[in-house]
Amino acid sequence: MAAAPSQSVTQSDVALDVRGLTTSFYVGGHWYPAVRDVSFTLQKHETLALVGESGCGKSMTALSILGLVPPDTGRVEAEAILFEGRDLTRASDREMREVRGDGISMVFQEPMTSLNPVLTIGFQVSEALRHHRGLSRREASARALDILEQVKIPSAASRFNDYPHQFSGGMRQRVMIAMALACQPKILLADEPTTALDVTIQAQILELLRDLRRDTGMAMIFITHNLGVVAELADRVAVMYAGQIVEIAEVEHLFARPSHPYTEALLRSIPRSDRDTAELYTIPGQVPPITRMPSGCRFAERCTYRQDRCAGDQRLTSLRDAPTHAVRCWRRTGGDLPTVGAADD
Amino acid sequence: MTEPILQITDLKKHFHVRRGFPNPKTVIVRALDEISFTVRKGTAFGLVGESGCGKSTAGRCLLRLVEPDGGSVEFDGVPVLNADAATLRALRRRMQIVFQDPYSSLNPRKRIGAALAEPLLVHQVAGRAEARERVRKLLDEVGMPAEAADRFPHEFSGGQRQRIGIARALALGPDLVVADEPVSGLDVSIQSQILLLLKRLKESHDLSFVFISHDLGVIRYFCQEMAVMYLGRIVEIGPIPDVFNEPLHPYTRTLRDASPVPDPTTKSVFTRIEGEVPSAVKPPSGCHFHPRCPHAMAVCRTVYPRWTPVDGDRGVACHLYDPEHGGEVTAVGAQA
Amino acid sequence: MTVAADPGAPPPLPAKTGRALLIAQALKAFRANRLSSVGVVIFVIVVVLALLAPVIAPHDPLEQNILSRLDGPSAEFWMGNDSYGRDIFSRLLYGARISLFIGVAAIGSAMIIGSAIGLYAGYRGGRVDAVIMQAMDVLLAFPALILGLVIVAMLGPSIQNLIIAISLTAIPPFARIARAPTIVVKERDFVEACRALGFGDLRIMVLHVLPNILSEILVMGSLWLATAIRVEASLSFIGLGVKPPTPTWGGMIREGFENILDTPWLSVFPGLAILLVVFSLNLIGDGLRDVIDPKTRTD
Repeated sequence: MAAAPSQSVTQSDVALDVRGLTTSFYVGGHWYPAVRDVSFTLQKHETLALVGESGCGKSMTALSILGLVPPDTGRVEAEAILFEGRDLTRASDREMREVRGDGISMVFQEPMTSLNPVLTIGFQVSEALRHHRGLSRREASARALDILEQVKIPSAASRFNDYPHQFSGGMRQRVMIAMALACQPKILLADEPTTALDVTIQAQILELLRDLRRDTGMAMIFITHNLGVVAELADRVAVMYAGQIVEIAEVEHLFARPSHPYTEALLRSIPRSDRDTAELYTIPGQVPPITRMPSGCRFAERCTYRQDRCAGDQRLTSLRDAPTHAVRCWRRTGGDLPTVGAADD
Repeated sequence: MTEPILQITDLKKHFHVRRGFPNPKTVIVRALDEISFTVRKGTAFGLVGESGCGKSTAGRCLLRLVEPDGGSVEFDGVPVLNADAATLRALRRRMQIVFQDPYSSLNPRKRIGAALAEPLLVHQVAGRAEARERVRKLLDEVGMPAEAADRFPHEFSGGQRQRIGIARALALGPDLVVADEPVSGLDVSIQSQILLLLKRLKESHDLSFVFISHDLGVIRYFCQEMAVMYLGRIVEIGPIPDVFNEPLHPYTRTLRDASPVPDPTTKSVFTRIEGEVPSAVKPPSGCHFHPRCPHAMAVCRTVYPRWTPVDGDRGVACHLYDPEHGGEVTAVGAQA
Repeated sequence: MTVAADPGAPPPLPAKTGRALLIAQALKAFRANRLSSVGVVIFVIVVVLALLAPVIAPHDPLEQNILSRLDGPSAEFWMGNDSYGRDIFSRLLYGARISLFIGVAAIGSAMIIGSAIGLYAGYRGGRVDAVIMQAMDVLLAFPALILGLVIVAMLGPSIQNLIIAISLTAIPPFARIARAPTIVVKERDFVEACRALGFGDLRIMVLHVLPNILSEILVMGSLWLATAIRVEASLSFIGLGVKPPTPTWGGMIREGFENILDTPWLSVFPGLAILLVVFSLNLIGDGLRDVIDPKTRTD
């Protein structure tokens, strides 16, 4: 088991400690891991970005933490998922229901489909308060209105009894965030919350999330495929590829010294709006399917630095000169390849 | 600068939509309100804007996949909008389109080979045997193995389907390709593969592009000139990278600053962005952007700004740059 | 790190070819639905029996056997004899030929005409669509049996007229069922791509849209075949069907109806036959619907 790099801090600063999480799916008679041996700690007040391309297991990691993987097709195994002294892997269904929406809540990508179209937004936001906090209808409504104002819905009081279709996409996402925040969760799991939005609206939502984190002190796991959004929002970043974390580091460190060949290649594959990209890098091939994962390094077949030893097991190991920066690549952590400086130029 | 291959003047499309219950009213959606731009031979012209700004409608109107309501489109000297059936058929061979969604752009019931050969047979540019050979070459050009011809679309990933969609667009040997968000549904690593492919094809086939995207990074990488659209109108046109370095229109600046950049050292420099994109059914009076504009003046609320040329090859529709309203034509960066 | 000159070669393709895969999927989904397999087996047996009627029928269906009038089932006459002493089993086999022929011919032509109308209306849209579908709705307002009854009453009873009547009643539903998916499919980018490539509308409708809506039409077809057989039986029962002595299932029920309490086998066996066929076709239709349901489909 690889040590997550930031475990030197005291346990009381840790909001969530995920150890050895593996989530498998049943495909054609076999169990295949979609998330394999994922470990990380989330500090209080910290925003950790899980970033990767589709199918890398980032969303499945979040669903596994919340116990929302469909039990008939998926299987979650973990050494431990520690939240407030409790191991969520051993929690009963009832305990998990208490944790969800109260201690840990989630915001989804699609603000159009994640709200119930026949209930007013006021009702939907106050529902969680009545359920988890046992507030009366009136108390819950008052609190819900506060939260809707906190997420900056203009004239929230007069819109309290409006239905979701009367809101724009950006406003609906604000309502979703308000619902998630209603019970003042310790941790917010945000799964691609801005992906469906236009850039100017995305900027507003990111701004809002930043403000909320500052004001409430909650920790956040932000799941996205967009490295630009990561740079805007995250304190720490875990890059995922084919179900594994391949690199984890503080955000400045990761962008300054992308050390896993995948991270490095990914950063060079993004055409940037802030400067000219003379030559765009491209990663050949595609992610191997879940049913045909290679042993050893899963990125090896697309990697320019591949050597025979890459077929062996790869561990997430800290860089020699940067204990909080861990990489799943023996050539980088073993010192055989020089680490890079900035992403480019 | 090369000569123009496509000239669009005052292109207009209004959709009439009946809505409301129980008393439906017909509302007019001004999807395209008299836009004009020119694409030069061998270059890529970017159309950028947020959802509902009319950029996709523009692409479809200039190909007459949607019939525009007014204006003119001239392709290589041939007027497109009043072309008769025979002329239009000939034009179809020279102007093609690549779609955003690789899952909906291929007929699920047709083998790839048949789908690629069909245009060749319909336009009688090749016989059956020759078509098979051409299909093999097309597949090779977009980086697909020849065996792909015998397969069905659902057997391919999104990136592979997009390659096939590109091959189909190339089948008739076009001079101009309208690419409508060709990489937006794709993962970063696949997106860069497709962008490189398009760039290579652009050089090897001497293609011109109208490249539609909401992603400023993609536009900056692929295009030589660009137009920024907002609610059915073009608010700014200029060469790249000038528009990025010194955006003239406040909306262009907003858009640029809101686009996230993979560099944590530049975070939170963007100014707060006001408001939401208004509906194209009821655009704000005067300049459509004025409710969100940090520089809005009294005139902006009542009069739509006229087109003001700047520095020869640039232009903007903003009162800030119109001498009549006290704007200065040359002062740009400092203004906004 | 070098910059790759060529965007990477895509990975090797899966081994199975598309058509095989589609069929395999369909079969799998179909097999998962046991009941529809039962439906297929029943229907196939009925069709085979009907086709082989001249070979397996123990007697001539028209041969009158005065001595065996209204006899119950026996070793020689498995299902008994009718009031003319004709063998009910043999008549049932020959009747199946007529009933199935009328059903298939009527639904086949309704399917072709109705789908063409729906496809055209859906593809053209706008005013053309509105006018065509209004007309279809007027026809659809009448129950199939009533409409068939009126038409047969006007044209006179004969196999040909029955086919026309049943087919006319089935055209509007087929137009509806073809139109709805056409509207969805024509909005997809590949249809726009066809137009951008300069294909004609007829080509796009027949070669590109139709194959994508065919499954919906086939489901409808199997369900309507059951209805057609029922309507044919009903019309024959009230005397507007095929003229005696030609055996049809509906006609046989009618002939036995007068003495149904004394000699129930005259009506029960053809009744059971209708029940069985309608039932099997409905099972098949349900199974097909499950197969084409987007939830069980991969593309």
